[in-house]
Amino acid sequence: MAADNPKSDLLQGTLDMLILKIVALGPTHGYAIAQRLQQMSQDVLQVQQGSLYPALHRLEKRGWVKAEWAASDTGREARFYSLTRLGRKQLEEQRENWDRLSNAISGILRTAE
Amino acid sequence: MMWRTRRDPRIADEIRFHRDRLIEGYVASGMDRSEAERRAFLEFGNAVAIEESVRDARGRWLDDLSKDLAYALRTLRRSPGFSFVAVLSLALGIGANAAIFSLISAVMLRTLPVKDPSRLVQITRDLNGRPGQVSYVLFEIFRDNVTSITGAFAQQSTTQIVTIGGSEETVAVDLVSGSYFSVLGIDAAAGRLLGPADDVRSSVGAAVISDRYWQRHFGRSPSAIGTSLTIVNRTFTIVGVAPPTFVGARAGSPPDFILPLMSMMSDVQRTQAGFNALTLLARLRPRATVEQALAEAEALYRPVKEAQAAESASRGEREAMLRQRIVVFHAPDGFNPIRDNIREPLLLLMGIVGLILLLACVNVAGLLLARAAARQREISVRLAMGAGRNRLVRQFLTESLVLAVLGGALGLLMAGRVSGRLFSLFTSGRPIELSVAPDWRVIALAAAASVVACLTAGLVPAVQAFRVAINPALKETRAQGHGRFGKSLVVAQLAISMVLVVGATLFIGTLLKLYAVDRGFDADRLLVFQVRNNRAYSVEQAKVVRDRLLEGLRALPGVRSASAGAMLPIGGGIWDRTVRIEGHPSESGEPESVAFNAIAPDYFATLGTPLLAGREFDGRDTVTAPPVTIVNQSFARAYFGNASAIGRRVTTVGVTYEIVGVVGDAKYQDLRESFLRTMYIPWTLRDAAQSYGYLVRVNDGDPLRLSSSVDHVLREADPTLRVVRLMTYAAWIDLTIPNEWLMATLGAVCGLLALVLAGVGMFGVLAFQVARRTNELGVRTILGASRWSMMRLVLRDVAAMVMPGIAIGGAVALLLTGLARGLLFGLTPTDPGVFLVAASILGASALVAGWVPARRASSVDPLVALRHE
Repeated sequence: MAADNPKSDLLQGTLDMLILKIVALGPTHGYAIAQRLQQMSQDVLQVQQGSLYPALHRLEKRGWVKAEWAASDTGREARFYSLTRLGRKQLEEQRENWDRLSNAISGILRTAE
Repeated sequence: MMWRTRRDPRIADEIRFHRDRLIEGYVASGMDRSEAERRAFLEFGNAVAIEESVRDARGRWLDDLSKDLAYALRTLRRSPGFSFVAVLSLALGIGANAAIFSLISAVMLRTLPVKDPSRLVQITRDLNGRPGQVSYVLFEIFRDNVTSITGAFAQQSTTQIVTIGGSEETVAVDLVSGSYFSVLGIDAAAGRLLGPADDVRSSVGAAVISDRYWQRHFGRSPSAIGTSLTIVNRTFTIVGVAPPTFVGARAGSPPDFILPLMSMMSDVQRTQAGFNALTLLARLRPRATVEQALAEAEALYRPVKEAQAAESASRGEREAMLRQRIVVFHAPDGFNPIRDNIREPLLLLMGIVGLILLLACVNVAGLLLARAAARQREISVRLAMGAGRNRLVRQFLTESLVLAVLGGALGLLMAGRVSGRLFSLFTSGRPIELSVAPDWRVIALAAAASVVACLTAGLVPAVQAFRVAINPALKETRAQGHGRFGKSLVVAQLAISMVLVVGATLFIGTLLKLYAVDRGFDADRLLVFQVRNNRAYSVEQAKVVRDRLLEGLRALPGVRSASAGAMLPIGGGIWDRTVRIEGHPSESGEPESVAFNAIAPDYFATLGTPLLAGREFDGRDTVTAPPVTIVNQSFARAYFGNASAIGRRVTTVGVTYEIVGVVGDAKYQDLRESFLRTMYIPWTLRDAAQSYGYLVRVNDGDPLRLSSSVDHVLREADPTLRVVRLMTYAAWIDLTIPNEWLMATLGAVCGLLALVLAGVGMFGVLAFQVARRTNELGVRTILGASRWSMMRLVLRDVAAMVMPGIAIGGAVALLLTGLARGLLFGLTPTDPGVFLVAASILGASALVAGWVPARRASSVDPLVALRHE
């Protein structure tokens, strides 16, 4: 299906990786994920809800995260996401890939200077 | 839809939570509420669109399926005629398969409900490729000496009249050797079962009753044990009850009583190695193989058959004896004579109904194709609006899936209704207690057939319609393309029908040939019955009772004559004797083997077999008179040529008979055989206890009206005598060819079904063509084409489909009909006449199907036609 095959692997993959990283810190709901992404990137990255929620559900479908309805800090029920074992492995892999890729890219950029 | 809300992961709730938190955040940072809501809304965008894209991310398979299903149901409901024909076609195809397969499942695939049935083997003599029977002597040899088995038992299934507490009842009895229950691994529900200790001849035998009989007769009372009963002058005491799951070792005939075999056997039956009347089941030792058991049994059988061969009177018998073989085979289903009897027609019919299913699928494919043509606009519009191609194919498949599921369910229902009746056709109405209701195997088959039907019927038109629809450049010729494809589907239908019609013609032809055979007697207005004798008579008593019986029958009003014979014509069995004929080389050399029979006076007059010379037996031929015999024409011609047979002498078993009569030939064993050389002796000369079949010829009318009078005559002669198997001789003959009847009947039904299905398919295509060409036909009419030439246009289409259909079907039939060789008579599987008849039937049916469209083509009103487009 078209939705399963993102047009830009880099962009999509990056968002997925960031979500996994945040969720890895403990069960988190969608709103908190968006907030934390913004804070941790010092407002550089801002994710649209229209991308965040499809990504979360896609990760859930792949079995990388699992979701559960639970009371949030305000007492209202929210959908909390947490990392699965499969997700943790995925995060490590993506992280290695990312490191390799960014090293390579920065290497190229440096020699070009 | 309930299930959808249940599976919905509350996407809307989740998104609302996010938005509300956003608003709260703005409010906390000092914004007023309405401003905060506005900001959140701007930032958030369309919540419903987000929700939809989440749904996309989760995958829409179930969603789509439910939409497809709803859509398919809607479109099918919109064209009820199409849906009805399609579902009915599939239901007939799947139903026929399920019905035949439920018989296969019941007869060939079930195992006995006993301990580890997979280790059970039958050890028996081979009887022309079927399991035969063994003697008690042979059973004991195998039981005691074959080391690759842990045990073996012998059994004989009969029905008997039991007298219990003063009342009389006909019951199913299994006579078994003592090892029966231990070999099967069955424990008593109450009391004890039979054991090796019961393998003795005692005045009072032990009897085990079935749970069912316990329930029926004793209401499960424990006092049943210890009750005594009488069967044919012997006394038994009930010692135990078998468990409810126990159904005996013979498929389809669960016993009421299980009695020690030993108690009911005569000395002859017990000691003669040639008295083969028992079936034998053994349990294979762990890790032992059937081959080991066979090698052992063959080695043990060799000396037995050599001894028997040494005693044989003629060389032919001797050689036949030495040719006898032992067979050992797995018998997880126990003794299964039903399977042995109907296996061949059953498998053949499974093939036939498989073809019917294929035909039904092609039929539905044709219907779907025609509809796809009609729905081309819809398809183009949907494609143009961006519907995925896979999605469209899936849509088509969903439609055919709905049809297939409906057809499968309906077919299964139909199978459930007819399987019982079908089974009684297979068993010629004999009562067989075997549930043939569709079981899980049948349901699995129906489901598989539905899926296959869905794929074959749905995929072809889906792909075809789709291919056409994506190429608008082909617009002009696309109807043409459809027509060609539709026509080739019709050709396929006609070809399959041709195969089935050839089969039906072969089977019906066989039946006709069998009935046209010269039997040598007249079966009309002839009644036949047998007598069950519940009392042990002395030879003298038996003769008195028989004479009284015949006198009583002859005195009945409307009776022309009555007689009796030990072997009635076409009874299935043969009684042969070796004879030495005076003045023939057999007098001193190798004796001749001939068919033999013992008969009452007036036998030939009653049967309607002509007396060619001499006389019939009569009152003169008593036991003290000089022995006389009557021979048939084949006998006389073979041994005396053109010379007179009267006065010649024939010797058999130490008695010399003088020939006093020659009669015409009559079928002895069955309709298929050629006439056998036969000699008849008067029944007064038979000293052994012999059962006879009785014949009554009436002057006119239905001989069955005598039923109650016959019963009365019997009770007059002896109150304990009972009529069994009373029927007209025509019915008697019908019963000897059950498989031929079955194949002719079911073959005809299948052939007819095929013709109707193919006819509907053909009609559909032709009607479509005529409708499409209305315009052109109108123009032709204006230009002066005659009605006949217009009809010819359509009929040419008919011929263009029928000819290849017949040719392809005929060629396929040529390859297949050999499979039915064993069930044919008087016809070869490739009989040209049969193929000609089948082709004519197919051609005629095609003409019928083409007639209405042809008429419509010839009566096109030019004005209407031109206004048509």
